[in-house]
Amino acid sequence: MDNIDNKAKGAESQPNRPKGNFVSRSNTSGTLIALLAILVLGFGLLTKNFFTFVNLKAIVSEIPIFAVVGVGMTFVILIAGLDLSVGSVLGFSVICGVLFSNLGLPAWVVVIASVIVGGVLGFINGLLITKVGVNPVVTTLGMMAAARGADSWLALGVPLLKVGRVYDEKLLGFGRQYIPAGAPILPITLIYIVVIYLVAAYVLKYTRFGRNVYAVGANPYAAKLAGIKVDRIKLLAYVISGAMAGFGGMILLAQLGLGRNDAGTGVELQVITVCLLGGISLAGGRGNLFGVLVAVLIITVIENGMVQLQSVYGISYFWDRVAKGVVLLAAILIDHYRQNVRQKAVRIRQ
Amino acid sequence: MASSKLRTINSTHILYGILILLFVTFSILSRDFLSAYNITSMLANIAYTGILTGSMALLMISGCIDLSVGGAIGLITSIMALLHNLTPPLPTWLILIIGLGSGVAFGTLNGLLVTRLRLNSIIVTLGTLSIAQGLAYVLTGGISVQMLEPVTAFIGLGNILRVPTAFLIFALFYAGIGILLARSKLGRKVYYIGLNERAANLAGVNIAGTRLWLFVISGFAVGLSSLILIGQSGVGMPQLGTGSEMEAITAALLGGVAFAGGKGTIPGILAGGLIIGVLYTGFTIIGVQWVQIQFFQGIILVLVVALYESRLTKGRRY
Repeated sequence: MDNIDNKAKGAESQPNRPKGNFVSRSNTSGTLIALLAILVLGFGLLTKNFFTFVNLKAIVSEIPIFAVVGVGMTFVILIAGLDLSVGSVLGFSVICGVLFSNLGLPAWVVVIASVIVGGVLGFINGLLITKVGVNPVVTTLGMMAAARGADSWLALGVPLLKVGRVYDEKLLGFGRQYIPAGAPILPITLIYIVVIYLVAAYVLKYTRFGRNVYAVGANPYAAKLAGIKVDRIKLLAYVISGAMAGFGGMILLAQLGLGRNDAGTGVELQVITVCLLGGISLAGGRGNLFGVLVAVLIITVIENGMVQLQSVYGISYFWDRVAKGVVLLAAILIDHYRQNVRQKAVRIRQ
Repeated sequence: MASSKLRTINSTHILYGILILLFVTFSILSRDFLSAYNITSMLANIAYTGILTGSMALLMISGCIDLSVGGAIGLITSIMALLHNLTPPLPTWLILIIGLGSGVAFGTLNGLLVTRLRLNSIIVTLGTLSIAQGLAYVLTGGISVQMLEPVTAFIGLGNILRVPTAFLIFALFYAGIGILLARSKLGRKVYYIGLNERAANLAGVNIAGTRLWLFVISGFAVGLSSLILIGQSGVGMPQLGTGSEMEAITAALLGGVAFAGGKGTIPGILAGGLIIGVLYTGFTIIGVQWVQIQFFQGIILVLVVALYESRLTKGRRY
């Protein structure tokens, strides 16, 4: 038994000499980049407006919410959990943001307070999951209903929140500013994304916490025996997810200038799609942030490209949902096929 | 001690206790709650999510899940309404058959993807959810299509001997899956697979075949729900049924189905669906707003499941 395991390990540790065809040799990131390239080229050739600067900026401005919430979700899925509550937490933080802003708090306080609100909701999720032992799907499903109910309750109860307008210029600038100031070239949201991804990627790859996240997701019992505080790692992952949802909510609030109680509805499914498409394994402990970032781009490019196709050829915009579903299925099929080929290769070598 | 006495009271008893408690409370709080009109409309309303809860629970016991039911309902009701609006409209019986048939076909497709290609059911049905919803939007252009028609209206709103037709369909469906789960070989296999997939496989249980059947049943349930929903609303549209997967999962979990699989009974699931239905109607009738109901529903769900978990882990902790 030991012998076989060692052989299997030996076979897997030689990734530079794999067998099989192109698809089985590429890794997840390779597949995704190829997919993105095909989509970009396809849309670029089919429609003349796709490659314009204005359109590229439109694509970039659509990214932040999925990208930011996707980072939090990545942490949660890596520890083999799932957070269905991100959409509702986002909505709740938006309502809180409107409330704080209308109380006259300065913009940076509003942002930090709302991110903390998201983090606290994530903390409650994490406590229920780790200390009480409720299944993560059930807990976050409950939080999804409770947070959405609470934010609608607030929004309908407080007259100020019914409209949900935000007038603070600085708060609006949080999602609307460009760098350099005055020249609309680099949107500030893009800088948030780059910073958040760099920090998160560094944390996951080079810090003890990040290593532990992978260890806990891959095998919680082994991690526990190795002395890792499994519960604390899990709890932190949910706090990160909640805080990121809060941050996404602030970007949405600043971009729209309007905070409604139904903000963020359905975001959870989109974000989970992005993570899975990006190669984060639902079983936990496998996947990296780069794939998620490419997946965010793929989904946004599909959305944008479909609008272009409609304007040029009159193809219904609504095909984008079909396309997203097909892309998701295709991505897991390719991933699955690749694993099969790899396993077969291992078996043959034995 | 008292704990051993408590053990003989199982979760299903607690659930029916809660149900009776809710019934009594709402009857005291509102005179209208026990009126014949309210009871019949409540029964008719329970039918559509109740049916979905049943099929979802079967899948969950076997360790799978179907997130695509809401999207599929949107697609099927859209197709039915569009066929009804053709210039010589298709005969109603044919539309009904197409509705049920496309439900079954959709479920089969999900099942084949999950079992033959051995893919994770969450991801597969997330993908087919998106595809179904997209197709419904493409077909209708995102607007609702009217389908006012005596047969579907009878299914959704009519009654036989003062019992709502929709509720009769619901009862028949539960009788069917109840017999299936408790008395048939397939039902046994569902529990085996959910409890321990590897052991079931080693014991020679046909896992793929069993799960495929459950997805077909789920598709059939989607078809039935579509018929009821199109009768009740009088329209077919992509948004119809949105979020019903969450309602079904919530009701099933409330009814004692373990998310990890292997646990759950038909009386429990039935109680879960009924509690949700009574809660909605009762809260609405005493003037609680929908958003507050949603808030409490989330808290109740977590509390109930936390209660189950604490009872479970007391017995065996590793």
